[in-house]
Amino acid sequence: MGVAAAARPYLPGLGLLAAGALLSHLAAGAVDGLQPLVVAVAVGALVGNTVGTPEVAKPGVGVDKLFLETGIVLLGAAVVVEEFLAAGPTVLGLVVVAVGGGLLLAELIARGLFRLDGTTPSLLAAGASICGVSAVVAIGRVLDARGSAITFAAATVLLFDAVTLVAFPIAGEWLGLTGRQFGVWAGVSMFSTGPVAAAGFAHSPEAGQWATVTKLARNSLLGGVAVAYSLAYTARSATDPGVRRLWAEFPKFLLGFLAVAAVANSGLLSPAALESIGRVSDALFTLAFVGLGLSIRLREMREVGGAAVGAVLVHLLVVSALALAAVRWLL
Amino acid sequence: MASDAAAETGSPLVDRWTALDRGWQALALGLGIVAAHAAGQVAGLF
Repeated sequence: MGVAAAARPYLPGLGLLAAGALLSHLAAGAVDGLQPLVVAVAVGALVGNTVGTPEVAKPGVGVDKLFLETGIVLLGAAVVVEEFLAAGPTVLGLVVVAVGGGLLLAELIARGLFRLDGTTPSLLAAGASICGVSAVVAIGRVLDARGSAITFAAATVLLFDAVTLVAFPIAGEWLGLTGRQFGVWAGVSMFSTGPVAAAGFAHSPEAGQWATVTKLARNSLLGGVAVAYSLAYTARSATDPGVRRLWAEFPKFLLGFLAVAAVANSGLLSPAALESIGRVSDALFTLAFVGLGLSIRLREMREVGGAAVGAVLVHLLVVSALALAAVRWLL
Repeated sequence: MASDAAAETGSPLVDRWTALDRGWQALALGLGIVAAHAAGQVAGLF
């Protein structure tokens, strides 16, 4: 089988993503002030929750995460290194405190306040504090969690992804935050990478860049958190600890983002080439956000348990309030 | 295309690509796009 034959099953889904992206650009062009990336999520969610994703389109639609991560790699071309180095230590400090404190807080709230037990509190804590569903799955693997516990925690995270994707841009506008403040706030407080980037770009391109970079810093801590959890739960799943686990859970596309940022800031590429790379990045984000919208399932979210929602809600309110105070004070 | 679609296809290129972690795929695609732009710049397109 050649490359063309292997790509064929993906074509209907890619066509669906492309049609959604085109529609988003047309709609955003017709209405002043509407962001194509936000419309893309809305178009995807509308299709996903009315007619649903056709079976034949599912393999291609599943490529959305690859588009998102490639878009993030290319976002490196828009990064002004001096600006990020200047704010870097503050943002990194915020991220480390938010992840470390957030994990402990989520465990405490879920076990103490909402009486959840087993691995569920740890799965919720990982999802809320690091990088959403991928953290739930990674920590679930480390803890040997039951499939149903992983599904339950992932569904809870997805519910909050959908709610915060709408709520954060509205709150950012209402609070009068700058692009940098809003981006870092969303990057520290929200859960999954896609919604964080979408919320950031819904505010402004500058906020989108800061949100994505802040979220990448959080994601890069997943390996360390996985090692910490495998040690905390002692030998239950300590078959693959240490450096190998750190590397296995490290998001490799982050290296691509850093490499592209280095190339872009070296002066090797002309402004026109950088602008074109930015357009490719935008196009990939639009395709990815149509896929993100298609994955939002309102019906499944009603089945999420009350205690888990309560625990994650309290955690989100506390972390986002503290993070808001911190970004207003520090940035 | 996605890393979980790891069934053998008979094409070494496709098999190697599908065996990659999605993060590596994104890194390769991204750097490929930047390299294409660098080549385009050398060719006078940008």
